[in-house]
Amino acid sequence: MIKLNPLTIKQLKRFRSIKRGYYSAVSLTLLLVLSVAAELLVNNRALMVNFEGKLFFPTYGAFLPGTTFGLGYDYETNYRELAQRIHEQAGTDDWVVMPIVPYSAFENDLREYEYPPYPPSVETRHFLGTDTTGRDVLARLVYGFRIAISFSLLLLACNYLIGVTIGCAMGFWGGAFDLFFQRLIEIWSNVPFLYVIMIIASIVVPNFWTLVLVMVIFGWMGMTWYMRTSTYKEKTREYVLAARALGASSARTIFSHILPNTISVIVTFIPFSIATGITSLTALDYLGFGLPPPTPSWGELLSQGTENLEYPWIVASVVVAMGAVLLMVTYIGEAIREAFDPKQFTYYE
Amino acid sequence: MTSYFIRRVLLIVPTFIGVSLLVFTLTRLVPGGPIERMLNEAAMAGNEMGASAMVGGYDGVGGSTLSAEQLEELKAYYGFDKPVLISYLEWLGKVLVLDLGTSTRYGEPVWDTIRDRFPISIFYGVTTLILTYGVCIPLGIAKAIRHKSSFDNITSVIVFFGYAIPSYVVGIAVLTLFASEWELFPLGGFVSDDFEDLGFWDQVRDVFNHAVLPLLAYLAGSFAVTTLMMKNALMDNLAADYVRTAVAKGMAFKRAVFRHALRNSLIPIATSFGSNISLILTGSFLIEKIFNIDGFGLLGFESLVERDYPIVMGILVISSLLFLIGNILSDICVALVDPRVRFGSDGAAG
Repeated sequence: MIKLNPLTIKQLKRFRSIKRGYYSAVSLTLLLVLSVAAELLVNNRALMVNFEGKLFFPTYGAFLPGTTFGLGYDYETNYRELAQRIHEQAGTDDWVVMPIVPYSAFENDLREYEYPPYPPSVETRHFLGTDTTGRDVLARLVYGFRIAISFSLLLLACNYLIGVTIGCAMGFWGGAFDLFFQRLIEIWSNVPFLYVIMIIASIVVPNFWTLVLVMVIFGWMGMTWYMRTSTYKEKTREYVLAARALGASSARTIFSHILPNTISVIVTFIPFSIATGITSLTALDYLGFGLPPPTPSWGELLSQGTENLEYPWIVASVVVAMGAVLLMVTYIGEAIREAFDPKQFTYYE
Repeated sequence: MTSYFIRRVLLIVPTFIGVSLLVFTLTRLVPGGPIERMLNEAAMAGNEMGASAMVGGYDGVGGSTLSAEQLEELKAYYGFDKPVLISYLEWLGKVLVLDLGTSTRYGEPVWDTIRDRFPISIFYGVTTLILTYGVCIPLGIAKAIRHKSSFDNITSVIVFFGYAIPSYVVGIAVLTLFASEWELFPLGGFVSDDFEDLGFWDQVRDVFNHAVLPLLAYLAGSFAVTTLMMKNALMDNLAADYVRTAVAKGMAFKRAVFRHALRNSLIPIATSFGSNISLILTGSFLIEKIFNIDGFGLLGFESLVERDYPIVMGILVISSLLFLIGNILSDICVALVDPRVRFGSDGAAG
């Protein structure tokens, strides 16, 4: 276990005392954990099937053909139908446990004599209704959230890795290296970000990884700049001079003196970077330049919703979900900023 | 300081070349070349709209009917037959004499197409700017003076929503709620179809009706940042020694705020002023797309979708120049309002 220094403990305490931010952090973490296990909550595969005395757990792993359960087909079992069938057969010991939302994000729930989108209904377990092709909105929201948040986290990790490395080097060594990157960053940050990504996306259809790559290529400058400035500041402080005077190597000065003191800069920006990641991915998806269909995504739902305003449940679900998540992220961000900021306002009456 | 600004202006040139070369190269990277791509798409889409316009006036029966010779002609016409760097230099040469080329979609000069969209974007840009500053500065002051009061807390919640939720989501939300559900406002566009036939006051009302929702979305974006900036800057200054001294010497609190603290608190606001220049003209393509406003942003988006690269490049030229000039303007504003700032000496620019 890492030993926390007293300052970090104090900051954590201060963070916990800011209720809004703390509860947001708890609920967002909970959402994250739940979304990792989304297959257990939102899925068209059953959680558990008891068929003729044998137990099946179909959630993970290869699909079970319909013949397993005495159904006359070789493709994947339709567990909702199976449940229905078993329910109608009286006097069997068989049972099926379905997840809370028994639909997958890709499956079109088509009915006879009725056309999607279907409005929200507890009876059919489409809690938030379906989209225009009959896919469950809640299922797409949940899986869309999982993709958006993991996209955002990956983007954050890459951007910060590059940003901290280059920024720290720029601030520490200065000179020609610093100048070169300064110019590069100036040009790079003047490139209209979304615009260029849209051009690239119109050339090659991006997948998850290429989209992360492209976003990193055009998004690493922000953190680099902040790190450069704060390294620059720290470098001239007495404790760094003292360390150097005592003969500390560059590596030691950077890793055990400067970096720990710039951590607060990095941490403060994390929530806002996450929010930006989610926002940009959703914007790209909304415009049709993001992840290819049928990937579940908030942006795609938004664009479906705005094209079909007469079915307000589509737009409403996404807007509320997105608003809630971003609000939580921002609350966390504010709380972190306050916890890490030793400056409290002394206010004059 | 003059030399600093001259250097900044001169630095626009390499930055501009860097940005435009990058985007120019990207537009050339379309596999198989954009012409083939256009033709394929035209052939696939059959005779759908735009097919004939896309190949620049050729009868759009489908790309496959074009001979190799015609194809070469087309390529030469759009400069796709040369290496990237050479055609970039040719393009740059044309830009220098203010010729942005011809749109592949509309077949008219790029500049004319772009110019037509300016009034709409400027209308939204200027209105947003006035509303933002008109509301945010007083609100920020009020919030700073009544820090931690219920007024401050309630407005904080609203401001926070605007801060956390991106403006396009706000746009979609208000569109669904006010235009679709309650039908209070039109669904989009800049004016109604029968705009020409209306009387003057009806025209004003029509523009206003169409503008309310997009303006709400635009405001949501800039509102929170400016208000919080104003509030925090003023609070910083209120806690500063010179205000304390002024009050201690018997100056009324109000007077201390408005005469002393406020002036210094406007400095951060001035920093962001220049970047508004590009926002005024270019708007946001997300909001313009949501509300179907035929402005600068929507034009850029549509030309990207249709691969109308002359327009894409034209918009890039204008928006990046505006952005670069806006940055310098910001610095000039800061130097004007803050006599302590001396650009050009060490570190001040960083």
